Amino acid sequence: MTYYLKEITRIKNACYGNQGQLDTVIGTRHYINNNYDQELNLDLLSHVRFTSKFHLLRLFKRYYGQTPGQYLTDRRIAKAKEYLMAGSTVTETCFNIGFESPSSFCTLFKQRTGMTPAEFQKKSNFHKS
Amino acid sequence: MKVQVVSIPVLDQEKALQFYTEKLGFLKKVDVPLSEHSRWLTVVSKEDQDGTEILLEPAPNHFEPAKVYQKALFDAGIPYTQFNAADVEQEYERLSGLGVEFSVKPTAMGTVKIAVFNDTCGNNIQIVEML
Repeated sequence: MTYYLKEITRIKNACYGNQGQLDTVIGTRHYINNNYDQELNLDLLSHVRFTSKFHLLRLFKRYYGQTPGQYLTDRRIAKAKEYLMAGSTVTETCFNIGFESPSSFCTLFKQRTGMTPAEFQKKSNFHKS
Repeated sequence: MKVQVVSIPVLDQEKALQFYTEKLGFLKKVDVPLSEHSRWLTVVSKEDQDGTEILLEPAPNHFEPAKVYQKALFDAGIPYTQFNAADVEQEYERLSGLGVEFSVKPTAMGTVKIAVFNDTCGNNIQIVEML
């Protein structure tokens, strides 16, 4: 058995022994993946998993290293890129990923990617042609 | 600052290019001859062609400590780096079918599933699926 295999076994036993907690956070992540286009908040997510919102927040952060809100933003930005590359307009993309305001969507998109949605779309179209 | 290039040390650049493109499915991005035996050679993920480039760097052949470090990691089974996969089980089946050797078969580790394979150029590489 290699050193790495021994370490994997050790870490698995030390960190991932509570299957109930794992099911909760993995289920929450899947729920976000499937409902990123809806209005999501901690109250709703904790209700879905029958747990308190502060407990869910702590668990999610512990196992994924980021809060459910941060993960939702990542997911929305990734989906926005897919919509823009597939030819959706900026406004369509904004609503498709669950944002209500195109201006806040554009601001966030620029913060996260370094370019506006329109610039991103222009660049991806240029690479396609 | 942006992360544009990360490097992986390889024992043979041509062999590495074949493995990373033909087996893993990456695309060659930049190939600049530097000297008789080395090139600035990068590949990118087919799904993210504007994403971070991987430099297939011949350091182990030119700098002894790099060779020692690479070999020590390899012998301990430690991955040099890792790539994300949408479905680790599927990638494991696909790559095994292409003759790629795995030292760790698909294994659930809490919120991820991992597997580790030999890139035939001196490195273990881990693939990871978020669960």
